[in-house]
Amino acid sequence: MKPLLFLMGLPIVLFGSQFSVIVSKKAPFSTLSTQQVREIYLLKRHFVGDVKIIPINLVGQDESRSVFESAVLGMDRNRLNDYWVKQHFQGVTPPLTQPSFESIKAFVQNVEGSMGYLPSGMVDSTVKVVYEF
Amino acid sequence: MMTIQKMGLLLCLIALVQADSYTLGHGLQVDNMLNVGGYFATEFEFKDKDKIFTLDDVAVMAYGDINPMFSYMAEFEAIGFYQKNFNDGVESSKRQFHAERVYGDVWLSDAYNIRFGKQITPIGYWNKEPINVLRDMTSNPLYSSLLFPKFLTGIDINGYIPAIEGMKYHLFGQKNPDLDDEYINIRNTHFFGLSLEKEISNDYSCGGSIGDYIPLASQRTRFLQANAKYDDSKWQMLSEVLLAKSEYDAGDSDYTLSGYVQGMVRYTPQYAFLGRYEHFNDHHRGSEDNIGIVGFSYRPIYPVSFKGEYQWHSRNDENRALFSFSVLF
Repeated sequence: MKPLLFLMGLPIVLFGSQFSVIVSKKAPFSTLSTQQVREIYLLKRHFVGDVKIIPINLVGQDESRSVFESAVLGMDRNRLNDYWVKQHFQGVTPPLTQPSFESIKAFVQNVEGSMGYLPSGMVDSTVKVVYEF
Repeated sequence: MMTIQKMGLLLCLIALVQADSYTLGHGLQVDNMLNVGGYFATEFEFKDKDKIFTLDDVAVMAYGDINPMFSYMAEFEAIGFYQKNFNDGVESSKRQFHAERVYGDVWLSDAYNIRFGKQITPIGYWNKEPINVLRDMTSNPLYSSLLFPKFLTGIDINGYIPAIEGMKYHLFGQKNPDLDDEYINIRNTHFFGLSLEKEISNDYSCGGSIGDYIPLASQRTRFLQANAKYDDSKWQMLSEVLLAKSEYDAGDSDYTLSGYVQGMVRYTPQYAFLGRYEHFNDHHRGSEDNIGIVGFSYRPIYPVSFKGEYQWHSRNDENRALFSFSVLF
């Protein structure tokens, strides 16, 4: 697990961040820690300040999603699946998903409190970057 | 209670008709307001001459978000649904469903939320995931069923402590009878406690609790509990310990000490081997046991569990083998 995380993180060290976690331009916060993003996507936390956060994930088995899960959530797909099965018993369902990065970006632009991740090359002035990986 | 059974079946049918897709172990999501699921467990016990088969838990549950501030959970369960002893041929069944959990959550902030109704007592690890399919061993430690009320009909104020990263608290209390006391391990009308849990990293966590309860028997018990866990993708170590002091109407008092340590190695994501040692000593009742267990777990997928174990007790007549099959759907 740890060597895999190292390999996932190596491109970031060599070439800069590949992905950005984004929120609405109106969001009253500008940076989040890895721990905060992780807890939001695992639905352990629901707020940043007074803002209720709606995390959005990429649907399916896309490689970008695996990078996010390993680098930020610190879990491989098996462990994450186990986690969500346990959460089902606690009455918690996984974050909403969108079929593409374009739809994640549109969702974040239009729904207050929503949060998603994109390839850093897709970020423009319509959204705010709060974390990079 | 028949009405509850019909209601559960109706919910399942509605969900089956309306759900877009279904993944085993994740429930049927009709919409944000209604997710439906359930679970069952079967168990084979071999003890002395007895060979007992039990369809032990059959449960349905529904939960959802009414709005961004309020969510609910309702779970109804029949324990001992069917049992047969192959030694003497005796069969029994209890097919009535009872309210296992019925509660609402009010989400106010990360630091302050309120859960009200009948809920699992937020203490330690084992008690919060008590069903067979989520456990890695078939048997429960005595610690988890004899020393504090497993359920609470009351209020739990909970959240993250703002000044300490990863530290969660639960401040809970009950001052009334249980909502449905059929499967209650310790019936009471007075139960208060504070529980803390700290997530140190992805792999390490620890916590502790204090509590005070007055069972319907003439007794008052105060307890101190601690727990610690290491869990990576391959290894898991789990330990919980509890010290309780009980005062009795006759004026005397006594201690109970119980704890366990359980280790697991996941040979593959599907296969795991486990061992557990437990100590239990209720001085007042003169009830002491030391239990060593070895077992295996096979999960073709996570929500489907086959498990087996053999228990050695310091009370020799309690030795037994257990096998179980359980599914969360």
